[in-house]
Amino acid sequence: MAENTPQLQRRLKIAAYLLIAGLVVEVLTLYWSSPLSFMLFIGVAGTLVAVGVIVYLTAIVAA
Amino acid sequence: MANHAVTILIVLSVVLIGLLIVRPSLMAVPGGKILAFIALFILPIAAIALGSAIHLKEAKSTDFCLSCHTMEPYGKSLRNDDQTYIPASHFQNNRIPRSEACYTCHTNYAMFGGVKAKLGGLRHLYIYYFKTVPEKLALYEPYNNRECLHCHAGARSFEETSPHKEMKEQLGTNDMSCLTCHNKIHDAQHADQIKLWKGP
Repeated sequence: MAENTPQLQRRLKIAAYLLIAGLVVEVLTLYWSSPLSFMLFIGVAGTLVAVGVIVYLTAIVAA
Repeated sequence: MANHAVTILIVLSVVLIGLLIVRPSLMAVPGGKILAFIALFILPIAAIALGSAIHLKEAKSTDFCLSCHTMEPYGKSLRNDDQTYIPASHFQNNRIPRSEACYTCHTNYAMFGGVKAKLGGLRHLYIYYFKTVPEKLALYEPYNNRECLHCHAGARSFEETSPHKEMKEQLGTNDMSCLTCHNKIHDAQHADQIKLWKGP
């Protein structure tokens, strides 16, 4: 666990929370058939997951 | 069914991510790093890709288009009892799939036409929720014969009927619009007055 610094852990935690939030929003939109759910999927779920993945990748690259 | 599969994938992903939050020490060992890569990268990307496919398919449905208040008169016109109206006769006689009626005629059958149609749809959603919908709706560009010929070209009822036979070239090049003769389209302005077909 030598390279698993507190800063890395904090970033991974942020990524994890962002991803969970995005995935939860995605599940909700999948069971709600409406144009608004499409917007939520693109605008909220997609954005949260994209940001989460970017935070995760930058964290492991920077470590 | 597809929704359930994606839900299972998402639940699995959330459980694994939760495990990594509770036990961050897992990520210090090689196996844990692979697990973290799967949970924090592979599974969320897969979930979003599959979710996109489901949402894009859903966006083609007639119900999706007609769920906007603005489209209600157009939806009614599909059930116009007067069969001389093109949308009504196509919808009621299964010439187009009823579940994707709007999309079938209003998508663009050129290369990247589906993408163009979906970008147009996104723009419509933006205007519907955040701007003011214009009082009179109009197509972005004149209706292209290509969309009609996508199905009708090659069909005996089209090829051997006059004046299609004589005008085939002009119809193919859009010099003559199909709508010049087949001009009874959506009668949205009088949607409240039309007699509706009571079929399924």
